[in-house]
Amino acid sequence: MKHNQRYGDDIAVNCTQPELVPDSENAVESVPIIVEVRSVDKEYYLGKQSVNALLNISLIIHKGEFMALAGPSGSGKSTLLNLIGCIDTPTSGSILIEGLDISGKTPDELADLRLNTLGFVFQTFNLLPVLSAWENVEYPLLQQRDVDKKTRQDRVRHYLNMVGLEPYAHHRPNELSGGQRQRVAIARALATRPSIILADEPTANLDHKTGEGILRLMKDINQNEGTTFVFSTHDARVMEMAGRVIKLADGQLVV
Amino acid sequence: MANLLIAARNLARNRRRALAALLMVAVGVIALVLADGFIQWVFWGMREGTIQSELGHIQVMRPGYLHAGAANPYAYILPENSPQRSEIESAPGVKLVAPRLAVTGLISHGETTVAFVAVGVDPKKQKEAELSQAVRIVEGRNLNDAAAKEVVLGRGLARNLDVKPGDTVALLATASGGGINAAEMKVAGVFVSPNQAFDDSALNLPISQAQSLLRVSGAHVWLILLNETDRTDDFLAQFRSRFPASAHKLEFVPWYQQADFYNKTVALFSQQMNVLRLIIGFIIVLSISNMLVMNVLERTGEIGTLLAIGFKRKKILQMFAIEGLLLGLVGASMGLIVGYGLAELISSIGIPMPPPPGMEEGYTGKIRITLNVMVTAFLIAFITTALAGLYPAWKASRLQIINALRHNI
Repeated sequence: MKHNQRYGDDIAVNCTQPELVPDSENAVESVPIIVEVRSVDKEYYLGKQSVNALLNISLIIHKGEFMALAGPSGSGKSTLLNLIGCIDTPTSGSILIEGLDISGKTPDELADLRLNTLGFVFQTFNLLPVLSAWENVEYPLLQQRDVDKKTRQDRVRHYLNMVGLEPYAHHRPNELSGGQRQRVAIARALATRPSIILADEPTANLDHKTGEGILRLMKDINQNEGTTFVFSTHDARVMEMAGRVIKLADGQLVV
Repeated sequence: MANLLIAARNLARNRRRALAALLMVAVGVIALVLADGFIQWVFWGMREGTIQSELGHIQVMRPGYLHAGAANPYAYILPENSPQRSEIESAPGVKLVAPRLAVTGLISHGETTVAFVAVGVDPKKQKEAELSQAVRIVEGRNLNDAAAKEVVLGRGLARNLDVKPGDTVALLATASGGGINAAEMKVAGVFVSPNQAFDDSALNLPISQAQSLLRVSGAHVWLILLNETDRTDDFLAQFRSRFPASAHKLEFVPWYQQADFYNKTVALFSQQMNVLRLIIGFIIVLSISNMLVMNVLERTGEIGTLLAIGFKRKKILQMFAIEGLLLGLVGASMGLIVGYGLAELISSIGIPMPPPPGMEEGYTGKIRITLNVMVTAFLIAFITTALAGLYPAWKASRLQIINALRHNI
C-alpha cells in the first residue's frame, strides 16, 4: 500500500498536468454547474493544535464530469469531498449544490439532500453486514417516500444488473469479494438516482485489476447515464482514467 | 415488520450478548411473577380465611350495631324469622345465610375465671361447616347438635382454663333486662383460627344456648356467604337497593370494611412489592442500557454510513429503539412462559412456611398466578427494556457523521 502510494503520487505530476488545461477551459462552458465551491477554508483541531485542512479552495464541477481529486494523504482531498458531500461543514466560504447554498441548512434538510442528490461510495465499501446485496441497494430507497414498491424493485434489479451482480442479489456482504462489495456499493449509490456520486478512494482497498474494473464500471455509467462522478485517489492509474484531475497539496489546489 | 426483522438480525450478530440481555429481562420477569404470585396467594389465603372463619362476605345487621352494639347488644337484635332473611337466602349466588349472636361474659373452670367473647352459631346447618373452614378443630369435635349444652374453645382459652374435651365449664353473662345468667356447658372440642389473639378468648356455642343465656330470640348478625368473593360488591349493591335502610332497618357491611388486619397486610405487602418492582426495573434499565450502548459503539461506523447516505437522525433513533423494544418483547415473553411453568411446579411441590405473626400453625405456600400478576410483570420488563434502549438510540442518532465514518477503517 505504501509502495503504491508513492508510485501513484509521482506519476500524477507527470500525466495529469497536460490534460488539465484544455479540459477545463474549452469543453464545459454551456454545461450546467452541479457543485460550486467558493473560497472554502476548513480548520480543525487536533487536540489543542489547529490544523488548516483546506485553504481558500474554489472549484466548479459541471454536470457529467468524471473528476479526480488527487494528492497525498493529508492533502485535504477527503476533507474537500466530505464538504461537497454535506457531511462536514466549512469553517468559512460557501458550497452550492445545484445552485443552492448548503450553509445554514438543518441536519434533516442536509439528510434529504444527501439522500436525493448525492451518492456515496466509500473506500471500505460500508455495506450493512446484516443485509443482502439486494437489501443494501434497497435500503436508501426505502427512505425515499415517493418511490413506490414496484419502482423500487425495478430499480434495485436494474442497478444490480448494471454492476453485474444480479446472481448474487441474496448474498450477504461477507459472502462477496471486495470488488463485488464495491459494485454493490456503487449500485446502492446509483439507486437513489443522484446527480453526483462522491467516491472517497473507491479502489484503495482493492487490487489493481479489480480496482480498474470498478473504475471502468464507473466510467461506463458516467458515459451512458451521464452521472457526475467525483472521486479522490492517489493512484496514478485511476487518475489516468479521470476526465479532469484536481491536485491538492497541503490543503491548497496545485495548478 | 421489515424494521423488526432488521432489528432481530442486528441483535443476532452478537448472539452471546443478545442472549445475556434476553436472559436478564426474562429473569427479571420470572422474579416478578414468582414474588408477586406468592404475595397474591398469601392475600388470597388470608382473604378467604377471614371471610370463611369470621366475617362472611356480607354482614346484615341493625344500623349502628357496629358502633354501639357492644354497649347495648339487646337494642340491635334481628328477628328470628324474617321475610328479608329468607329472600336473601334464596337469591341465586348466595351460598348460605347464617345467624350469629354475640355473647360476652366470664367463663370458669375450677378456680380459674376469665373473660370470653362468644359467638352463638347454628351447628345444625350443615353448611355452617363451610363458614368455619378456616377454623380447625385440633382436639375433640365441632358442635353438632343445636340443642346440646356444649361449647368449642379457642386453643389459647382452653390452655388458660386448663380444660380438655369432656370437661365442664360455667358461662356467666348479663342477660337482657339486666340480670345475670349462668349456664354449665360441656367442652366438645378445641379449635385454632388464623388469628392467635382471637383464639385466646374465643368460644363458639349453639345459637339456641346463646339465646337462652342472654334471654333473647333472634340474632345480631346474618352472615351471607357467596359463591364468589369477587362478586361481593355486586351483591352488596343489589341488597342495598332491594332493602333500603329507611324501610327495612338493615345495614349491609362487606367483609373488607371489617377486615382491618387483611387490609393493612395488603397495603404493607403491596408496598414491598412495589419496591421490588422498582429494584428489578432499575437492574433491567442499567444492564440493558449498558448492553445497548455497546451495541451502538460497535456499529458506530455503520451509523456514520447510514447518516452519510441520507438517513435522518430520527430514523437512526428509531432503528436502535426498536432493538430495545424487541429485546423487551422477546425477553418478557420468555420470562412469562418460564415464570408460569415455575410457578405451577413450585405450587405443586408447595413452599413450607413458618407460622405468620399472630397465628399458631405453619402452612404450605403456593403461587397464585393471576392475569394481573402476568400483565404487570410483562409491562414492567417490557417498558423498562424499551426505556433502556432509548438513551443508546439517542446517542446513536447524535453521532457526528465524519467521526462515525472513521470507525469503518
